[in-house]
Amino acid sequence: MKRFLPLLLGAALGFGAATSALAIERGGSMTFARYDDSTVIDPVWADRNPDLWMITSLYETLLRNGADGAIEPGLAESYAVAGDGKSISLKLRDGLKFSDGSAITGDDVVFSLDRARNPDGPWGGLLGSVEKVTAEGGKVTLSLKQPDPTIPSILATFNTGIVSKAAFEKASGSNDQEKAKAYFDNNPVTSGPFTMKSRVAGSSMSFARNPNYWRAGEDGKSLPYLDGVDFVVIPDDATRILKLQAGEVDVAEFIPFARVGELSGDASLKMELFPSTRIIYAPINTRDTRKDGSKNPLADLKVRQALNYATDKNMLIKLVTFDTGKPMTSLMSAATQLHYGPEPLYPYNPEKAKQLLAEAGADGGLDITFTTLAGSADDATLFTALQQMWAPLGVNLKVEQVDNPTRGAKNRNGEFDIHTYGWANDVNDPAQVTGWLGYYKQRQAVGTGWNNQEFNTLFEASNSEVDPAKRKDEYKRMQEIYAAEAPLLFLYETPFAVAVSKSLENYVQTPLGANDFSEAWRAK
Amino acid sequence: MPSLSYLVARLLQIIPTFLLVMVFIFLLVRMLPGDPAIAMAEAKATDAQVVQIRRNLGLDQPLPVQFMVFVKNTLSGDLGRSIMMKAPVSEVILSRLPTTIFLSLYAVALAVLLAGPLAFLAAMRANTTTDVVIRGVFQVGLSMPVFYIGLVLLTVLAAQLRWFPVGGYGTTFLGNLHHLMLPALSVALYTSAIIVRNLRASLIEVLDADYVQFARAKGLTPRIVMTRHVLRNALVSTVTLLGLSIGNLMSGTLVTETVFAIPGVGRLMLEAIFARDYPLIQGLTLTFAVMVSVVFLLTDVVQSLLDPRLRKS
Repeated sequence: MKRFLPLLLGAALGFGAATSALAIERGGSMTFARYDDSTVIDPVWADRNPDLWMITSLYETLLRNGADGAIEPGLAESYAVAGDGKSISLKLRDGLKFSDGSAITGDDVVFSLDRARNPDGPWGGLLGSVEKVTAEGGKVTLSLKQPDPTIPSILATFNTGIVSKAAFEKASGSNDQEKAKAYFDNNPVTSGPFTMKSRVAGSSMSFARNPNYWRAGEDGKSLPYLDGVDFVVIPDDATRILKLQAGEVDVAEFIPFARVGELSGDASLKMELFPSTRIIYAPINTRDTRKDGSKNPLADLKVRQALNYATDKNMLIKLVTFDTGKPMTSLMSAATQLHYGPEPLYPYNPEKAKQLLAEAGADGGLDITFTTLAGSADDATLFTALQQMWAPLGVNLKVEQVDNPTRGAKNRNGEFDIHTYGWANDVNDPAQVTGWLGYYKQRQAVGTGWNNQEFNTLFEASNSEVDPAKRKDEYKRMQEIYAAEAPLLFLYETPFAVAVSKSLENYVQTPLGANDFSEAWRAK
Repeated sequence: MPSLSYLVARLLQIIPTFLLVMVFIFLLVRMLPGDPAIAMAEAKATDAQVVQIRRNLGLDQPLPVQFMVFVKNTLSGDLGRSIMMKAPVSEVILSRLPTTIFLSLYAVALAVLLAGPLAFLAAMRANTTTDVVIRGVFQVGLSMPVFYIGLVLLTVLAAQLRWFPVGGYGTTFLGNLHHLMLPALSVALYTSAIIVRNLRASLIEVLDADYVQFARAKGLTPRIVMTRHVLRNALVSTVTLLGLSIGNLMSGTLVTETVFAIPGVGRLMLEAIFARDYPLIQGLTLTFAVMVSVVFLLTDVVQSLLDPRLRKS
């Protein structure tokens, strides 16, 4: 046997060489079937995922999110935070160009960041700590009102994508929002890997390769490898999959989990489950009284903990996500920076649940309403499963089905017991999800009314903490408090399920949801 | 021909209809829980932002004030700005409307072509095997929801046999006909099922009527009996039904356009409702009201052509 080993090794090496010789072919295009159309792909005014997740294909940011989540250089080749944390300076690369061939200058950066700071825009708050942006040649400086450790992440986020000042100012419109729409509608000048070639609202869209994009591919020539990406809008899940199976498109996004198994077995496809920051959870109303004035049993921590213990997360993952999900280990997904969660929260333990309910004096029966999205098969399964899991504890779970805006309104008014919700990070920093789920002053801790002094103080401190080690500690403590206090029913994390044709390589959906076609290529 | 005064009177009836539609739609969308501010950005906005968005959209004004603004703007042709699309409502609707009209006319044409001859055949051979088979097939069509027929057609004719593209709209006229064949057919199957039942029944009834017996006894040729006496009378109720089903068809496009990925106003309406895009919902409802009114008006005109008695009322 020993004699064969070198031979086998040689074969393996030979095979390796063959595959890398096969790698990376340039040219051609791909067709992508999406669930919804873009309406305005603009860094400042986009507010829907079909817009947000396309921005970085058109507009490059100063910094970038690396594959492992670390912040990497982008249009800026380096950045430095001042010792007192109150300013950040960046150095632009030499020779950067927009898609129309004009130079990307410090003025364009100042213009883009000033636009992004507009407090009327949906993302203006992310740059709330910035006092002034200035540029001297290729050196850009952000002066801050107070230290803000999230700024490097924000400079790698879609809302700080760089637009051409000269071209944008020529767009028609009486204010920035109207200009943004006009700019987008008329084949905008871009800084990212692609440009807009054409678009039929509600139906299709085409990106063409930006020949001036700065990043180089594996072959040393500039990215992207593809000449273009064509998009078709197909809202219906079943139709989108049929379109892929008929070979009319190369990629179909948002594959329902129920169909992942079936598509994994299709030899002409790759079923991708991209790691995501998406979490499915259920906010619990923690206020002493319900909206109708009656006493709220869920105000008792032990009841909330009991319900978490009485929930068999692994069973739910099997039933709803067809084993593609993972149990939550913290308030944030494991793919989020500064995540702390050594093990799944509240492992299934009906005995402990029973005991906790008895200690809370709630073992004589509880009436709880579970608010779900009407028409959502996932929510229906979730409700049925929870109803059965909790019934032995004397919990009478009733369902209330509403549509999405109604659910949002109920959440904001505190008019619910427990309801379903989902979240995906937009920013590669834990502050966004932590503020959303736990910080009372922002959204009453995702509408739960949970108001924990220690948590709030830690959150405020962490937002201006310049020492990364201290900030990490603060985040660890916040996640511990949140887990113990259980203002949520902790459910599961889900991946982005995307089915891709076998001939297409390297298309990626990032953990933040963004579509990345910059390194995709097609084998001919 | 219907008299001019009949047409004018019929047109004037449309005005109160529109006023009622405006009041109802204005109130109904605002009675729905959840507003555009909350529906935006997957609800990620902070409470302060929600207040700001409401102010920007004028939703912090009292309802009567909002209604007056709505009526005033609508009468001056300004339907407002879509919150979701960030563009003028009229522009958004006009860009999507031709697709839906094309699909609807295509579906009606298919339905009539399919149902007319078959109903005729079924009536001529009433209670034979032919009749039973025709009625049976359409009964199945009637009892299946349109989206299901659509998915079956897509799976078999598009994905497996590849005779048609899976969804989409096409760019040329022939391309449109090719792309929209399956959606038009799935709507047409439902509509023609209704027409076949009705037309067959009225044909049989009329064929048996005294005046037809009399016409035959008079020695008129079967062809003249058929065109002048039978068809003309049998068509009156079928035309009414066709008019009504075009109204239904408009609402049917909500589902069909979603399943078949067609960028028309039906799918737009669904998206607008989920986004609580008040200006767009209002604009679309008015558009639907105009289209349905026009169809009903045409139905009345055709009926009065067929049946002179109706012109007097």
